[in-house]
Amino acid sequence: MRTRDINKEALIREKAIEIIVNDGFDGLSMHKLAKSAGVSVATIYIYFKDREDLIQQLYSEETKKMSDATLRNFDPESHFDEGLKVQWMNRMTYCLENPYSITFMEQLKHSPLVDRSTIDMRFLHAMSRFVHKAIERNEIVPLPVEIYWSIAFAPLYQLVKFHISKSSMPGRPPFIFDEPKINQTLELVLKALKP
Amino acid sequence: MKDNYTTAEFVLIFRTNINRKKHVRSVSHLLDSRKEIIRWNVDLSDIDNVLRIEATHPDCTPVIQLVTQAGYACEELTD
Repeated sequence: MRTRDINKEALIREKAIEIIVNDGFDGLSMHKLAKSAGVSVATIYIYFKDREDLIQQLYSEETKKMSDATLRNFDPESHFDEGLKVQWMNRMTYCLENPYSITFMEQLKHSPLVDRSTIDMRFLHAMSRFVHKAIERNEIVPLPVEIYWSIAFAPLYQLVKFHISKSSMPGRPPFIFDEPKINQTLELVLKALKP
Repeated sequence: MKDNYTTAEFVLIFRTNINRKKHVRSVSHLLDSRKEIIRWNVDLSDIDNVLRIEATHPDCTPVIQLVTQAGYACEELTD
């Protein structure tokens, strides 16, 4: 009988994400994945029921990793200005350390291939508590969540994208998202959300 | 997580030509009726049409016989 090997499983996951990012979902075949991870097709099926199960498990695992990283040293009770800074730094670090994972999650965002009902509730609760406390203490204005998210986080993700792709607006030099630029942007975002 | 299962369970992997949902349905009563098969599925989204079986014993022969008798190709996919 074949035994489970955590390292092998991790390698299969990592390679699967790379293939999906580089070649799309249709580009992921079990043969290609086996070759790339240096295992047999049969071995992949020991860990994953089928292609759908593989993609669903990748999504769950990456979501969990991202939540853990985002909640590191984050206190949902903290003042909004401080808490948002921690969120920004955590999210940015995660994006820079896991560029494949970020692109993969982006690809899955609007895909029917995964069931998102299994989303990490711990993360949702922490973020929701953080926002509601801040509104209660009159640190930010109450807003529909989509608008809140777009102001609080979309600028961060866009600038991280510029930074990772090493490009920016036409005719401009590569954009480097360094500490002064982070603080400059964060200040504007905080100002926009103030009552 | 999955890694916690410690039951004496064997995963058997076969390459087949079961490539449509109706073909899967046509073998389902055969597979469901076997006590030694705990669960099974066919991956229709990949070229090998893998039949994956979690069973209480590691013997592939009965499964191959069962699927072949139903009129499909079935061979063990080895490492």
